[in-house]
Amino acid sequence: MKLDIKNLSHTYDIEVLHDLSFQLEGKRSLALLGQSGSGKSTLLRILAGLEKPTLGEVMFNDKRVTDPEYRKGVGFVFQSHNLFPHLTLLDNITLVLEKTRGFTKEAAHKRAMENLATLQLDDQAHKAPRNVSGGQAQRASIARALSVDPEVIFLDEPTSSLDPILTNDVLTAVEELRDSGKDFVFATHVMSFVRDFADYVIFMYKGKIVEHGPPEIMDGPKSEEMRSFMSKVR
Amino acid sequence: MNKFLSHLLAVLLFLGFMVFVVMNQATPVRFERLEGYGGLFLEGFINTVIFSFIALIGSMVTGFLLFLISKSKYQLLRAFDTIFTEIIYGTPLLVMIMIMAFVIGPAFNVFNRPVMGITGLIVYITPYMKNIFRSSFSSITEEQFMAMDLFGFTSYQKYRYIIIPQVVRILMPPLMNNFSLIIKGSALLNVLSVRELFYAQSIFHSRTFATVVGLITMWMLYIIITIPLSQFIRYFERRWSL
Repeated sequence: MKLDIKNLSHTYDIEVLHDLSFQLEGKRSLALLGQSGSGKSTLLRILAGLEKPTLGEVMFNDKRVTDPEYRKGVGFVFQSHNLFPHLTLLDNITLVLEKTRGFTKEAAHKRAMENLATLQLDDQAHKAPRNVSGGQAQRASIARALSVDPEVIFLDEPTSSLDPILTNDVLTAVEELRDSGKDFVFATHVMSFVRDFADYVIFMYKGKIVEHGPPEIMDGPKSEEMRSFMSKVR
Repeated sequence: MNKFLSHLLAVLLFLGFMVFVVMNQATPVRFERLEGYGGLFLEGFINTVIFSFIALIGSMVTGFLLFLISKSKYQLLRAFDTIFTEIIYGTPLLVMIMIMAFVIGPAFNVFNRPVMGITGLIVYITPYMKNIFRSSFSSITEEQFMAMDLFGFTSYQKYRYIIIPQVVRILMPPLMNNFSLIIKGSALLNVLSVRELFYAQSIFHSRTFATVVGLITMWMLYIIITIPLSQFIRYFERRWSL
């Protein structure tokens, strides 16, 4: 991935991101760490093009993230699975492919089943989200994100609503996508997953990037904020 | 005891109670008194259904408008919603119907009582309809909208494939509940001499003085509509809820 953030600020009622500038190149998998309220979810959403930044400029793989075309190459996995509840797992994917990517019915079905199979959900394809476990639903939402063949997949605390066993289920599924050739940017509180999967880490505190570097920085934080954070999540 | 048997037994218990009540009247209850009045009750029954249906459709329209008003960016419109809703919540349905027919209607030169009566019913149900629109639309989360934007659905596609199908499913059970409320409330239209089911019963009574027969017949006719309706709601919830 190639990431270029210039003077990014973002305000809801209060400013949640303060004048961030940051460059990164040649990494596959970027983890955002920080407490709730540190601004990492907001940064993730801005990087994915889901929210327009108040100020500043963000380029991802040489594309402006506010460009509607950029979004088409993005997959996003939300905290809760966020599947459309009235559609089966299969239809959640085929609807997207048929209506927004111009797939024929047959091609959409074929692609969707492949993606569901990748996440070991082919036997659950015809079930509604409410009739599968939280882990299965979250995996289906990963399958949905994959189906549009994105360049980059964003995951916003994808396991925060799951118990430890289902968490493991979902994260293992993500790890198996390592060789898919896609970029990953994710926020999570599961540190073992960060160590296994990330090849770069950003630590945020109160809307600023406090430390960044390879995952090894987690073992020897320089700042007081990150040291305190690491001692709580370990 | 299994479910079917227990329900059967409960139904028999109620029927038994009714038989007891009928048998214990001071004067014998003779259902053959209904002879020649079938048409009267049928007319009342059909009118009750028609009026209720008109009130249902009407209040869906006004309820949706009130929902839009309550969502308006203009403070004045939102205040209108608040005040209107408070007034309606504070008014008994019977009072609303009388006020419509004898106070508000005449002020606008409308003396047609059935029309004003049904209007009263519509006005009364409007805030309740607003509520079900509000809860249905609010059940579609902000994150779902984000997902729709992300995939690049057009506005039309969002409504056609994602929003409306969900809203309809969430809306149906409370909507049918309101329909049931309207059907029951429409009995009050008899005070305006609207020829609905309750009024048919009053005419039957004044001609035959067979009070018990008339009341039981009317009661059963209401139940014939409302109980299947509530059963349908339950079926719908089981089959289609999200």
